[in-house]
Amino acid sequence: MTFNSHNDVVLSVQDLSISYLTPRGRLRAVSHASFDLHQGETLALIGESGCGKSTLNLGLMRLLPTNARVDGGRIEYTRRDGAPIDVLRLNDRQLRQFRWSECSMVFQAALNSLNPVIRVRDMFYDTAAAHGKRFRRQVRDRALDLFRRVRLDPERVFNAYPHELSGGMRQRVLLALALLLNPQVVILDEPTTAVDILTQRTIIEVLKAIREELNFSTIFISHDLSVAAEMADTVATMYAGEIVEIGPVYELFYRPRHAYTLGLLEAVPRLSAGEEELVSIPGSPPDLIEPPAGCKFHVRCPFATDRCRVEPPPLEPVGENHLAACWEKARVLTHALENAYHDAPR
Amino acid sequence: MTPLVELRHVNRTFKKGRTPIPVLQDINLAVAPNEILCLVGESGCGKTTTGKIMAGLLDASSGEMLYEGRSLVAYRGQARADARRALQIVHQDPFASLNPAHTIGQILSYPLKRHNMVQGRAAVRRRIWELLTLVDLTPPGDIVNKFPHQLSGGQRQRVSIARALTVEPRLIVADEAVSMVDVSIRISLLKMLHRLRDELNVAIVFITHDLALAKYFAWEGRIAVMYLGRVVEIGATANVIGHPAHPYTRALIAAIPEADPELTRNKQRMKLRSEDIPSLTQIPPGCSFHPRCPFFVPGVCDTRVPPLENAPGFSQDVACIPLTSGMGLQEWAPVEDMVADGP
Ligand SMILES: Nc1ncnc2c1ncn2[C@@H]1O[C@H](COP(=O)(O)OP(=O)(O)OP(=O)(O)O)[C@@H](O)[C@H]1O
Ligand SMILES: Nc1ncnc2c1ncn2[C@@H]1O[C@H](COP(=O)(O)OP(=O)(O)OP(=O)(O)O)[C@@H](O)[C@H]1O
Ligand SMILES: [Mg+2]
Ligand SMILES: [Mg+2]
Repeated sequence: MTFNSHNDVVLSVQDLSISYLTPRGRLRAVSHASFDLHQGETLALIGESGCGKSTLNLGLMRLLPTNARVDGGRIEYTRRDGAPIDVLRLNDRQLRQFRWSECSMVFQAALNSLNPVIRVRDMFYDTAAAHGKRFRRQVRDRALDLFRRVRLDPERVFNAYPHELSGGMRQRVLLALALLLNPQVVILDEPTTAVDILTQRTIIEVLKAIREELNFSTIFISHDLSVAAEMADTVATMYAGEIVEIGPVYELFYRPRHAYTLGLLEAVPRLSAGEEELVSIPGSPPDLIEPPAGCKFHVRCPFATDRCRVEPPPLEPVGENHLAACWEKARVLTHALENAYHDAPR
Repeated sequence: MTPLVELRHVNRTFKKGRTPIPVLQDINLAVAPNEILCLVGESGCGKTTTGKIMAGLLDASSGEMLYEGRSLVAYRGQARADARRALQIVHQDPFASLNPAHTIGQILSYPLKRHNMVQGRAAVRRRIWELLTLVDLTPPGDIVNKFPHQLSGGQRQRVSIARALTVEPRLIVADEAVSMVDVSIRISLLKMLHRLRDELNVAIVFITHDLALAKYFAWEGRIAVMYLGRVVEIGATANVIGHPAHPYTRALIAAIPEADPELTRNKQRMKLRSEDIPSLTQIPPGCSFHPRCPFFVPGVCDTRVPPLENAPGFSQDVACIPLTSGMGLQEWAPVEDMVADGP
């Protein structure tokens, strides 16, 4: 699937920057992020711990903690009826409408944060009521339908307490809850991270099936490249708060142009690949309060030149729907093709 | 050659209230000197418990743990202290296992002094320098006076490994030792462990739930796959991963997504008969995987516990009667949609 038409954009993020005020100073967690999310598209956000994935998405939902500041940028959302919404200007009442009905989220580590004394059905009734939907019959019907779609035993799960469900079942309950009010955009923050292999497979299959059936767009946050490889239409690599590369999944995996994306690809083992030569990225992510000058990755980058140390590279087109912010994109690509760990479809 | 450590018919139970829960059943595993053995399997299958028994930190409820051919409980006095020292474990979370109030120098000097590994302050200091260099924490002078919270996760894990090395062990049990560090730096830790194994002649038992990581780390070693407290398959890594025998191993390998879009999207999936992992309080009779197994043979798989032995056509050992008896697996039906109905 390719997404290049401009009239089916549901969420457009332009030049978004977000900081946290910390005792040590201002921490730039998201820096000039821009991307478009199209109808039915799955966008995977990948990158190391602390690179700003969760902050970016909490920003999209306007759910940032009180010490966070949006420093600039725009978030434009297009409703099903075509009406544009300027998310950063919504008032509290409008926000309540926006959240969950238009854009919902399954939070990182939410699995373990379910209130143990609240039955699943009451989570659904409460969520619906908070958004003005008080017809319990309708809520119940919708919930049971969603449970069927995520392959849960509807009646049993609806009446269960969270502790009676396995981790994989709880994650599917949360997914159903996120879909309750039929949003256009669903944000999933590390949905398969704490679960076992066979459970992860179930969640992946359920997600694939249900996004086809219900045609919502997904932002999928994962530090696991393999899940991104399987689920994503588009992949965005984040480093130190910046989107440093974004493009169609095949492009990004087989023809990366940013040295950091390449570094990640060369650091993960592939089960079916036989013996492999892998390399780690040296060093560790930079301090976001005092980030390095030039390209923020230059300190760890094997391709870095003098220019990289002083001049930040712009995010520029390198192919169809593919952008990268790297001064050494040509060398990165050559290296990726020469050391191909795969038979890339060209 | 005598194995370095060996578990023979090891069982382990934990009490839940009054009922003993069988967490390990009839574990037989030998680790040769300088060998790499990976334990893989899903959460709760008994990997950590096995690792702790191998490291001498936990006793078996029944069965034997042998160190250099002799039961660990038979060692006395200095020999016992030496045996205990030879077996070290590195945990998943270096934050929890490193004292936050001590500097890295203090953390490393403590076991050196306690076990009289070196004599005199100058020698202790020299040894700490050596150890930090061994685990690539250089220059050591920058590290010794730091506290654990001043280091990155990867660096802390290197300190844990250096601490395990202070007592010159013969076996290191690395329990999810790289699971908490970022993907981008895991490989450097694994390469370091490989190098230590070569240079210091230690054996490594590497515990992970990540099969791809196990494959990479143990490429020249062996993998043991565990399910509900038993080893269901064991053999050379390339064989277990490349030609998995046990239906459970096959299901795991089929289910794992790969960091390659083409590969992962065209992978054959396997449909299980049930998604539910049975509870340890109600382990199914016979082969404990039979209620989920797509190759289940009624009357065979649900009656007798399958012994772990070689199966014709495979070079690894597997606990599956249809395979080891030569019946073969029927109904090997790969389907696109491997998810069963129901919860
Ligand atoms: N409430 C907060 N106050 C101050 N700093 C914060 C806060 N939340 C996050 N940060 C910092 O902002 C940066 C981005 O964090 P964020 O949680 O968005 O990263 P992430 O990519 O989601 O990481 P992970 O993969 O670990 O979930 C990090 O440096 C983090 O320490
Ligand atoms: N001290 C204990 N008391 C009671 N039960 C225990 C104890 N330690 C472990 N168990 C139980 O034994 C079983 C095996 O645990 P173990 O930690 O060995 O599994 P594991 O394979 O390492 O799992 P994980 O991948 O989650 O680390 C689990 O059901 C666990 O709850
Ligand atoms: Mg996060
Ligand atoms: Mg464990």
